[in-house]
Amino acid sequence: MNVLVAGFGFIGRDLIKAFHNKSTLIKEIDKDFKVIGVSNSRGYLYNEGGVNLERLLSIGELSDYPKGYQPRGFTTDLIVKSDADLLVEATPTNIKDGEPGLTFMRCALSKGMHLVTPNKGPLVVAFKELSALAEKNSCEFLYEATVAGAIPIFSLVRECLRGDRVLRISGILNGTTNYVLSKMYFEETSFELALKEAQERGIMERDPSYDVDGIDAACKVTILANAIMKREAKLGDIDRIGIRGITAEAVSLAKKSNFAIKLIGTIDKNLEVAPKLVPTNHPLCVHGTLNAVHLETDLAKEITLVGYGAGKETVSAVLNDVLTVLRDKGKGRSSRPTRI
Amino acid sequence: MKYDLTLALADRPGQLLRALEPIAKNGGNIISIIHEREKPAEGYVPVSLVVDFPSKQNLKRTVSDLKSLGVSIIKSEEIVETTRLTLIMIGRMDLKRLIETRVENVRITGFEVSAPTSKEACVKLELEIPTNSVDKALGELRKVLKEENAILISSI
Repeated sequence: MNVLVAGFGFIGRDLIKAFHNKSTLIKEIDKDFKVIGVSNSRGYLYNEGGVNLERLLSIGELSDYPKGYQPRGFTTDLIVKSDADLLVEATPTNIKDGEPGLTFMRCALSKGMHLVTPNKGPLVVAFKELSALAEKNSCEFLYEATVAGAIPIFSLVRECLRGDRVLRISGILNGTTNYVLSKMYFEETSFELALKEAQERGIMERDPSYDVDGIDAACKVTILANAIMKREAKLGDIDRIGIRGITAEAVSLAKKSNFAIKLIGTIDKNLEVAPKLVPTNHPLCVHGTLNAVHLETDLAKEITLVGYGAGKETVSAVLNDVLTVLRDKGKGRSSRPTRI
Repeated sequence: MKYDLTLALADRPGQLLRALEPIAKNGGNIISIIHEREKPAEGYVPVSLVVDFPSKQNLKRTVSDLKSLGVSIIKSEEIVETTRLTLIMIGRMDLKRLIETRVENVRITGFEVSAPTSKEACVKLELEIPTNSVDKALGELRKVLKEENAILISSI
């Protein structure tokens, strides 16, 4: 299978590294796997015979690659002209209009290309449209890394809970606010101090309101509602309260009654992001930058997953999505049994 | 619907069986029965029953039948299932208005106000609410607190 990677930032680079480090595993599933194009906002690299991943990882800029670099080349041109089977769309998230990722996704799916993405923006803006386009063109459309990073929610529901009806999803969907609230819980500091430390540690997004006002968590609630609960939710439909108003006194009062205050996203008859009291012995009560997702279904009843929601761990979810596409749709599959 | 039905039976053989007949006849399903024979008072024995009736009408008919048999009814009340809720409220709020929030059968079982070092007051409330009124009670509180510009934190 021929693969394009749009976006050569942290995730794009980590993914290329994973492709290189896990090449034996990948070739067991698809012996013809190769990355034929990589793009960023400044141009693209296109090599029909396959890009040398080791070489690519050794350079700082795509333009430093010795062959096939197209300065100021548009990603859409790369998608149109290439003979790729799969696009991994990993450009920066934009929740206002989903661009530029949304255009790349539309372009790839219209061409019959499978799509894997960790980019929330286009899914928040146009999940239904993208799903319909993927279905119409018989494309795989996988987005595990968009919600709770490395935690396999969509894969779990798709592969392991096929007969279950998911009744309710709740969870800690933003690691940064969980870090701030955990700091307040354990060190009894004020919100302002805990926030400052999160910023100093570099775990806060560029605009703190995106995290602390619950916007990031609301994006994930929107995606979960649409993808798992088959709703037609928009970001504006989510009732949202962030954590700015949480005081040290409130955290302390909660703690005395064996509760921790956590920013919880909930999808049931309501769609909500709000600070909640979580009993300290509840499986959702995880601390630090951890995320946790609690599923309630008709048959399995309750399942809780805990893991990292952002950072380098996210590549695990993107790679698994790519391997799933290779397993399901790969043309040049090896005769050896697959390991997934 | 479950009802607490407490009867006073004459301390004579066969009275309990006689009293149970109208319950069965009117569709009552007896969940528990406590027959306190060791505590007769003035020749009467208290019997406490928890009975599941299809409707309040069935209970009324049972009570009427029991009365016509000469059985005294000490108590016949619906048993309301309750949920305990812990809530934390942050902000400047009118506590009187909060307490006057109208939801039936809400009992305040705990109340604590923190000594605030910040500008915002912080109140912890522990409530016992009829289970089927939880959404309504939370909705009412949320409405009041929104008007007061305060935050309500409920448990998951």
